[in-house]
Amino acid sequence: MNRSAPRSIDQYLRQLREELAGEDPALIQDALYDAEEYLRAEVAAHPEKSEADILEIIASTYGAPDEVAAAYRDTEIKVKAAMTTPVRKRAESAAGRFFGVYSDPRAYTALFFMILSLATGIIYFTFTVVGLSVSAGLAVLVVGVPFFLLFIGIARVISLAEGRLIEAMTGVRMPRRPPHPGAPGGFWSRVAGMLTDRRTWSTLLYLVLMLPLGIAYFVIAVVGLTVSMSLIFAPLVGLADHIGILSTDQVHLSPEWIGALWALPFLFALGVLLLTTLMHVSRGIGRLHAGYAKALLVARG
Amino acid sequence: MDDSDTKKFQKDLNGGLVSLVLLAVLDRSAEDLYGYEIAKRLASANDGAPIFKEGTIYPVLRALSAGGLLTSRIVPSYSGPPRRYYRITEEGRAVLAEWKAVWQSTRGFVDRFID
Repeated sequence: MNRSAPRSIDQYLRQLREELAGEDPALIQDALYDAEEYLRAEVAAHPEKSEADILEIIASTYGAPDEVAAAYRDTEIKVKAAMTTPVRKRAESAAGRFFGVYSDPRAYTALFFMILSLATGIIYFTFTVVGLSVSAGLAVLVVGVPFFLLFIGIARVISLAEGRLIEAMTGVRMPRRPPHPGAPGGFWSRVAGMLTDRRTWSTLLYLVLMLPLGIAYFVIAVVGLTVSMSLIFAPLVGLADHIGILSTDQVHLSPEWIGALWALPFLFALGVLLLTTLMHVSRGIGRLHAGYAKALLVARG
Repeated sequence: MDDSDTKKFQKDLNGGLVSLVLLAVLDRSAEDLYGYEIAKRLASANDGAPIFKEGTIYPVLRALSAGGLLTSRIVPSYSGPPRRYYRITEEGRAVLAEWKAVWQSTRGFVDRFID
């Protein structure tokens, strides 16, 4: 790549971002973060040199933007290959594909995520609504500004943690580093940058929307599990009733035929069908949610 | 010999060696280290032509950390973004011991032919 060598940290980061164009946004965020940590530490370690002087030797120490970009790309491929579970053999038959979902760990983790999301949704929603309203209330006082900044800072940490959770549950790459703090400058220019950053607001939106989404996910997961499980175990209860170990006389069944002996295998089959569908739905929701989280929580290059 | 051929040979060699060296550095260090510190330790040990660019150790640190061989914590910094400090885990020490043995036998084998 033949272009002028970067003369400032900002130029270096911009070139690195260009070199990584088209890569996963989470990978770009990590690479920019690492490069900035190094470059700023290097500048701070040599107060007698100008930023331009330091950037001149960076290509031979840290590496030129294209070399660094290549290192991230190579490592990412290796890590992905080492860390992701091997691709399952695709079952040929339709039935094989339908029931193959039970051997996919992502389906189980997504189901767990759906149940957990009610708890996280309540925490995120409460945190965001309380943080926003207290910030608004304190806005007229001097303490309002630091309080608001603290609130935004915690929201960013939560967004990183949520990203790690989603990556663990769905395997979709999410940032491993907090977002790049942006161009350096005075305290106020950083504050202004944070307020005008679209991601700051989309993160808050995500945290608020986690409550309704969490409720929906939780209901789908719990209703799906209980209904399918009760259908699957219905034959046991039915048989126990017919043998006389258990009496369901007091239980009113409607329609009447549900209690009949011949209906039990059908109830069992229906339960298995429902449970398998739930696994598919969970896996789908996991994927959709990861894409949605990425759009709101991770900055696009 | 073309210079770019030499570079490519060096790059191929470095594949696993960077991980080995990083684990060894963190194993020897009494305190946790962050990326820049590790890079500078390697640079000072290696005067003359650098074996690898300092920028290439960061993605490897992340990979080792994702593999459970290192743990990390974030500490705020005045000079830039918060720093990530790394420390070797017990699993990392076990892997390092194995890799050391592999490296020693490889080196002995290669030396028998080129010395």
